Amino acid sequence: MPEPRSGRRPLPRRAVLAAAAVGLSTALTSTLSACSPASGSTSSGVTLTFSWWGNDDRAARTEQAVRLFEKEHPGVTVRTSSGDFGAYLQKLATQAAGGGMPDVAQLDYRQVSQYAGGGALMSLDDAIEDRTIRTSEMSRDFLRTGTYKGGQFALPMGRGITGYAYDAAVYKKADVPTPKPSWTWRDWEEANKRIAALGLKSPDGRPYTGANDGGGNEDVFETWLRGRGGKLYASQTELGFTEDDLTAFWTFCDRLRREGAIAQARDTVQANSTETSPIGRGLAAADFTWDAPFPSYPVLLGDSVHFAPVPTTDGHQGAYFKPSMLIGIGAHSAHPKEAAQLVDFLLNDQRVGDILAFSRSTPPNRKIAARVAKTLKGPEREIYEYAQTMEKYGLDATPTAPPRGDVAVQTAFIREYQRVMYGLATPRQAARELIDEANRELRS
Amino acid sequence: MSTVSTRAPARPTLTTDRKPPARRRRQVRERQWPAYVFLTPWMIGALVLTLVPMAVSLYLSFTDYNLFDPPHWVGLRNYTEMLTDDPRYWRSVGTTMLYVVVAVPLKLGLALAVATLLKNLNRGRAFYRSAFYAPSLLGASMSIALVWRALFNDGGTISDILNSVGVHAGGWVGNPDLAVYVVVLLTVWQFGAPMVIFLAGLQQISPDLYEAAALDGAGRRRQFVSITVPMLSPVVFFNLVLEIINSFQVFTPAFVISGGKGGPADSTMFYTLYLYERGFTASHMGYAAAMAWMVLIAIAAITLILFRTSRSWVFYADEEGR
Repeated sequence: MPEPRSGRRPLPRRAVLAAAAVGLSTALTSTLSACSPASGSTSSGVTLTFSWWGNDDRAARTEQAVRLFEKEHPGVTVRTSSGDFGAYLQKLATQAAGGGMPDVAQLDYRQVSQYAGGGALMSLDDAIEDRTIRTSEMSRDFLRTGTYKGGQFALPMGRGITGYAYDAAVYKKADVPTPKPSWTWRDWEEANKRIAALGLKSPDGRPYTGANDGGGNEDVFETWLRGRGGKLYASQTELGFTEDDLTAFWTFCDRLRREGAIAQARDTVQANSTETSPIGRGLAAADFTWDAPFPSYPVLLGDSVHFAPVPTTDGHQGAYFKPSMLIGIGAHSAHPKEAAQLVDFLLNDQRVGDILAFSRSTPPNRKIAARVAKTLKGPEREIYEYAQTMEKYGLDATPTAPPRGDVAVQTAFIREYQRVMYGLATPRQAARELIDEANRELRS
Repeated sequence: MSTVSTRAPARPTLTTDRKPPARRRRQVRERQWPAYVFLTPWMIGALVLTLVPMAVSLYLSFTDYNLFDPPHWVGLRNYTEMLTDDPRYWRSVGTTMLYVVVAVPLKLGLALAVATLLKNLNRGRAFYRSAFYAPSLLGASMSIALVWRALFNDGGTISDILNSVGVHAGGWVGNPDLAVYVVVLLTVWQFGAPMVIFLAGLQQISPDLYEAAALDGAGRRRQFVSITVPMLSPVVFFNLVLEIINSFQVFTPAFVISGGKGGPADSTMFYTLYLYERGFTASHMGYAAAMAWMVLIAIAAITLILFRTSRSWVFYADEEGR
């Protein structure tokens, strides 16, 4: 481009300076204002931020509960945000690291140790003591999952339990008895083989199998392990199982898959929702899952799908009640009192109980759970009754929150089993790699 | 070609400027300061948003940092661990190298082939050029990667087409031997940007050369090997360097196609994806920072090697008379 030379009046110095100053100050102020903390007093009062993960239904119900809170607390505005699980966890981790944790946040039990230990969560002990947050209607044992070094840093929002969604019509056709709380892994193996032997075909013409392959699912392994008296973690820095335990589990799953009794590798790998799981695609008769997502199965697959207990080892159940999610307050919240009020409102207000219902599994507040249970119908009634039955049958005690490294161990678990499925490693090689990696993660 | 410059008309400014040199220099200096004033926000930006984070990242690469606790100095441990004690690190290097070695030649080959065809096209060249360029604009987006994932999934269009001709490969995305090629194909499909550059390069080659060669009896193939390739070598070099650098940094398609996990069985665990996993999933920010510096060093080294070897195969027209 030719440079302008002659014939043009030079810009007056003052005009240039003024323009530059305006430009610079605009640039700086806009940057700075973008950095201001998310929570802060506005002219109309207090603004709280609250974030959670979940589906649209949960989002709509939570919004409704939050609007009710705003109505009851004039001058308090709650800014909400939600996303899907994976993205949410990463966003929250980044926010927490930058000191920008939301005032109130839904947490996964894997985050409690990390966030509380890293000073990102506020201790709730004072708020519980002065009864701003009431816990009298919650089980003492169950509250323990939200503790870190003796202090309460998070409270459960829902009580979940693992289970088994299965197609009762197919089970009947294969002459497999209805799964009872005491059915065993051997019964499960037999059921899968009988179903595969029926010779049914999926919609795309492939063989129909008994169940999905739970080999890469840490929850399924934990149930299997606990049934045999083991556990995932011995302490915050030690695994609670051995290479032999994991080799045995993976050999078992690997064999059933090779025999065609459970879903093929490519179907397991591509399953990331109910729709894409083997049962959702008409490739299998059952799926290991949690109680909270179960109601979506009958909606998608029909009324013959029911919820059953996970298999046991000689009648010893490995399942336990786990917080499906927790709620906590950011350590740097500018309005801890209002944040605590919001937490209490979400957990203990009867009207909120009616609105949220079972959208986060069984409410931890016993009175609310009993009240909401009366209104339940269909699959939701089924999972409520399932929890009651299992409680009577006898479950393992809820362990404390897992160590910080568990997130990495969980992803390694999926990956190493995939190596087994594709014949890239034997069950023993994969188990050894997993244990090496887990030990590295737990040490650091 | 060196004779061209002597034919250029003398610049009039040189003869009309009669001011003494010292005064002129001062004037130039005076004229420059507004430029610096206007550049200030960008210079602050470069400093605050690029140089400072780079320095912090270098510092973090020598620490153990989990985002929550303060960084803890560990010296070279992150580097030694990745080089000696992390099989997944080397697997991610292998996957990335495989990708670079397969995707870059395919993409550049296709770009050159299409550019050659378009050069000889008289009608509708603008249309085809835009049509082939469009994927380069769209390709890096999440949405295209999602479409790609759907196409190559089990039960997706590609597996349906292959099934109908009797090839039962299942979903490519779920097959550890094929998943990486889904990413390769997505990259190769975005050959539009190097194609446009090749096209510009091809149009620079003087038609006289081809006419002379034709008179000497050279066929199309001979013309391509003896005229097009050497005359185009600076453009090939430019595209090659750019594509290799880009390929080492492939992230979005691998992230989306594998659902962020680099699976199945780590088969699409590219270097950057592993870096991301270490940093944001496993919360080892120090290790991730060390990985970032390693790839920076690797790219710099490869670029340097390319520049060194280029002396023997890149031909610049103005060197003709040397």
